[in-house]
Amino acid sequence: MITVHDIHKVYGAKTVLRGVDAHFPSRQLTSLIGPNGAGKTTLLMMIARLMEPTSGEVRIEGRAVAGIRVGEYAKRVATLRQAPDFNLRLTVEEVVAFGRFPYSRGVLTREDQRVIDEAIDFLSLQALRHAYLDELSGGQRQMAFLAMTIAQQTDYLLLDEPLNNLDIKHAVQIMRALRRLCDEHARTVILVVHDINFAASYCDHIVAMKEGAVYCAGSVDEVITESRLGELYGLDFEITHSPRGRLCNYFNPEREAK
Amino acid sequence: MMRLVSRHGIWGVVLLLALGFVFLRSGLDFDYIIPRRIARLTAMVIGGICIGWSSITFQTITGNRILTPAIMGYEAVYLLWQALLVLFLGAGSVMLLGSNGNFLLSVLLLLGYSWLIHRWLLRNGKSNVYFLLLIGLVLTMVIGTFTQFVQLKVSPGEFSILQSFSLASFNRAQPQQLLYAGLLVAGVCLVGIRTLPTLDVLSLGRDQAISLGVDYRRNVRLHLALIAALVAISTSLLGPTAFMGIFVANMTYALARTFRHRVTLPLGCVIAIGLFIAAQLLVEHVFNYKTTVGILVNLVCGGYFLLLMVRTRGAS
Repeated sequence: MITVHDIHKVYGAKTVLRGVDAHFPSRQLTSLIGPNGAGKTTLLMMIARLMEPTSGEVRIEGRAVAGIRVGEYAKRVATLRQAPDFNLRLTVEEVVAFGRFPYSRGVLTREDQRVIDEAIDFLSLQALRHAYLDELSGGQRQMAFLAMTIAQQTDYLLLDEPLNNLDIKHAVQIMRALRRLCDEHARTVILVVHDINFAASYCDHIVAMKEGAVYCAGSVDEVITESRLGELYGLDFEITHSPRGRLCNYFNPEREAK
Repeated sequence: MMRLVSRHGIWGVVLLLALGFVFLRSGLDFDYIIPRRIARLTAMVIGGICIGWSSITFQTITGNRILTPAIMGYEAVYLLWQALLVLFLGAGSVMLLGSNGNFLLSVLLLLGYSWLIHRWLLRNGKSNVYFLLLIGLVLTMVIGTFTQFVQLKVSPGEFSILQSFSLASFNRAQPQQLLYAGLLVAGVCLVGIRTLPTLDVLSLGRDQAISLGVDYRRNVRLHLALIAALVAISTSLLGPTAFMGIFVANMTYALARTFRHRVTLPLGCVIAIGLFIAAQLLVEHVFNYKTTVGILVNLVCGGYFLLLMVRTRGAS
């Protein structure tokens, strides 16, 4: 389990996070939701150790992450930021192979090759294996990067808006893959997601943030309610239940929310 | 297949160039001409390694293909330092420090400058490349103006000494200096070779590198220090080479067609060495010393740089 304790982040005069306390249960899919500028990505980057909190600490299974060596941390927590872009000509397989760096430091063993193959199979990327990244669509690229983080074989996966700019089919593919990672491979996944319906349909646990603090957190049933979402986003929500799950409708407000 | 041929063919071409350089119209004079030529060739090899290695690693760290350490003001700082030395110590400074003392001091100075750049510009991983480029160009200009100001203050004799520092040349290196430079470069390469896979990861950018378990800050610091040492060696050995790094690095990417530094770094070094030898051959046998290596190299590389800027997104 990852827990964060009284985290503050201040940039100059601007306070981005003001005393965030939250926990992210093991072997569950947790999403961070909330309006733009709520500090979701900042919090995720602190768990990933890509940013330092001004005060407070992040703990992984009770141990403060600041004391763990970067090389060790990469074997426990893998991070994927939105749309990593670099001007390299890489094939999908080469990208996935990077996921083995924390273990092999650049020299792939037979075991590494096996894990790479597994990650590629897991996301059904066999056909694209030797394709160059710059020839792929946004969704396929995202899948390739996800395969890299899977090949990293960490207990925790942190994803910053993995559905950004994807068509609905790729978005569903990615969410289903994450669900399977939790259920079949006992991984813990934490992601920032903007589409409230994806969070409601696929996640176990939701942490909702507003203005640099946790607005509410809990299971999907606890958080996804008309009153809570309405206040979180300042929109009028209608939540309908059907045999295929719940659906949050906020597209045509009936009345102006406060 | 073609790629493999061109990638490995370049080694043969450079070897031929080197042999041509040593023996062409030498009259097989092993007492004077050939030893002198071998000294110049050694300077070119050392300089080539410095330029190839430093430009490629610098571009990897900054994630940009139109930057070179030279543009970041390293050479301007070196020239200002030489000008200040001459201003305060007079023409005797060259004798006073000896070429080795000057050489070592320059290396230390550029290491310090590199540390400052790192502190100011790369803190918090916020390395906006365009900001870096702008700062580098402005610094180069400001420091260049200071240097000119200092040059106005010195006597014509001292000025000519300064002038010789500001042109790339292979004739100034003394055998002892070559030995020190060679040892330093070998040391840098030994340290660098162990980090080649890490460099590959660094080319994915800061966030991905940290996520893959690379101690970003420590590695960037290490490589900036290595780059500073290499630039210091090449600048104090040969003089400024300006755009050459960009040309060498981009030609390497086009030929290598892989991101792996295990391939690109040696290739870059060989291309730089080949370029030096070709320019020096032209100077010695075609232009009959009426032009300098620096001018030829800058002409070719400056043109290439323009082309690179115009052709916004190259295929390589």
